[in-house]
Amino acid sequence: MRISTECVGCGQCVVFCPSEAISVWGKASISDNCTQCGVCIQYCPLGAIREEEA
Amino acid sequence: MKALIIGGGLGGLLTATRLVKAGHRVEVFERLALIGGRFINLDYKGYTLTSGALHMIPHGSRGPLASMLRQVGADVKIVPSSPPATLRIPDNGSFRDMSFEKFSSPLSLTDKLKLFYLTTKSRFVKPGDESFKDWFFPFIKDTWLIKFANAYCGWALSMRCDEIPAREVLAIIDNMRRYGGPGVPMGGCGAIINALEQVILSGGGIIHTNSQVDQILIVDGRAVGVEAGGGTILGDVVISDIGHQATAQLYDHPGSDEFREYMASLESIKPSAGIKISLGANRPLIEHSGILLTPYARRVNGINEVTNIDPSLAPPGKHLVMSHQAIQSDDIQSEIELGLKDLEDIFHKEDYEVLMVQTYRNGWPVNRAGSGSDLGNTTPIRGLYIVGDGAKGKGGIEVEGVALGVENTIGLLQNFKTNYTT
Ligand SMILES: Cc1cc2nc3c(=O)[nH]c(=O)nc-3n(C[C@H](O)[C@H](O)[C@H](O)COP(=O)(O)OP(=O)(O)OC[C@H]3O[C@@H](n4cnc5c(N)ncnc54)[C@H](O)[C@@H]3O)c2cc1C
Ligand code: SF4
Ligand code: SF4
Repeated sequence: MRISTECVGCGQCVVFCPSEAISVWGKASISDNCTQCGVCIQYCPLGAIREEEA
Repeated sequence: MKALIIGGGLGGLLTATRLVKAGHRVEVFERLALIGGRFINLDYKGYTLTSGALHMIPHGSRGPLASMLRQVGADVKIVPSSPPATLRIPDNGSFRDMSFEKFSSPLSLTDKLKLFYLTTKSRFVKPGDESFKDWFFPFIKDTWLIKFANAYCGWALSMRCDEIPAREVLAIIDNMRRYGGPGVPMGGCGAIINALEQVILSGGGIIHTNSQVDQILIVDGRAVGVEAGGGTILGDVVISDIGHQATAQLYDHPGSDEFREYMASLESIKPSAGIKISLGANRPLIEHSGILLTPYARRVNGINEVTNIDPSLAPPGKHLVMSHQAIQSDDIQSEIELGLKDLEDIFHKEDYEVLMVQTYRNGWPVNRAGSGSDLGNTTPIRGLYIVGDGAKGKGGIEVEGVALGVENTIGLLQNFKTNYTT
């Protein structure tokens, strides 16, 4: 998963990630715990989370 | 009449309940997997954090939002905060808390008289476009009054007193006299969203989630439908809860002068930006259920502790404490650090953990239109209306302004219905 510059740091994705992989501090960042499940994408109000292009 | 509503935030849902109750057909389209926008409860580590709001209704159980909830039969209990607010003042290496009503007590007698004169005069001669600061500071050169005004405007509106028009602040003060101080909904702000959802569904309204509106269909200058979730849905009116600017990006622009003027006026809308810091504490840090305004802090404008009204918003025995600050520079990292330092000073030696730091700006702000820059609920497109915190009613703080804007829109829709729909 990749966080774009549209992220404002609202923290909404943090609470919906089932793997506790996201932390927020002015902007979200995703740790190695990420399983690429894609859940967070549905909860970001700014569409700032995208799948990594292969 | 069939109404299509873009966005399932508080503004969209309130409008939907009013229309469902009046016997209209309603469909709400929400882009995310859940409804409520910036008024959702977020469960985190056993605490009830939120997607935006600080679980506070600015005029409690007597304000415009509470009346609208009662009117549509939304079952929510709003408990008044007591006292409404206190002011924390440093005092010889420690601090003392002063009652909000006595805010003018640190002023000199002359300045108190001047303030009385200014407020009385404003009832007869309405201020122009000057900021709140420019309204009082030329006469009362007092730094306490600036600090107090910044804490209040920062907490309530996420703006500084030199950013907000004086007429808007005076309208807010009138509303405070009329409706009273804040309150906390039992179950948090999410309880209001749940209650509204119930009313909409039981009245036959439809709510689509994961359903982004990509386009508003316009025929002969009139909104006739939306493209959402890959399909076309037709209706008699379209009501948007995403603000004037974002709405205007969803349709083809007519070439009229009226429309060009409208687009130019949108440039005056300024969103307000803020930072919310949520703390979990082992014992009460504030000891009352109102707002603790912090005029002497570097950044934090105010703090509340909603678990003093609804303990279920934190794990058993714990407390949820939330601070708010208007963002004052582009350096978000240092804005956050200054806020955290303020909290360390204010809750010196107290036992708490920082649960989350949430920042709001640009497309997900505190208010889409900072108070005083709201443009009203109509657009140059017939049958296209704007609700939500990008189109608040005058003098309406936050969700009270959302409710006032919805009330106004319902009035406009009545005329529209008799003229244009069957
Ligand atoms: C930090 C913070 C603290 C606050 N504290 C308080 C408080 O204590 N008290 C108070 O009264 N107010 C408070 N507010 C303000 C309050 O939360 C907002 O004014 C209110 O929730 C806004 O509601 P809305 O319906 O206007 O917008 P939103 O809640 O933003 O709703 C708009 C909805 O539209 C959806 N959407 C967007 N684009 C599309 C599209 N193209 N298609 C479909 N759906 C779309 C969004 O996902 C969203 O759900 C606070 C706000 C913040 C950020
Ligand atoms: S993709 Fe899944 S695991 Fe990865 S950050 Fe998003 S929600 Fe968490
Ligand atoms: S939900 Fe989106 S905007 Fe909010 S912190 Fe996560 S990535 Fe950023």
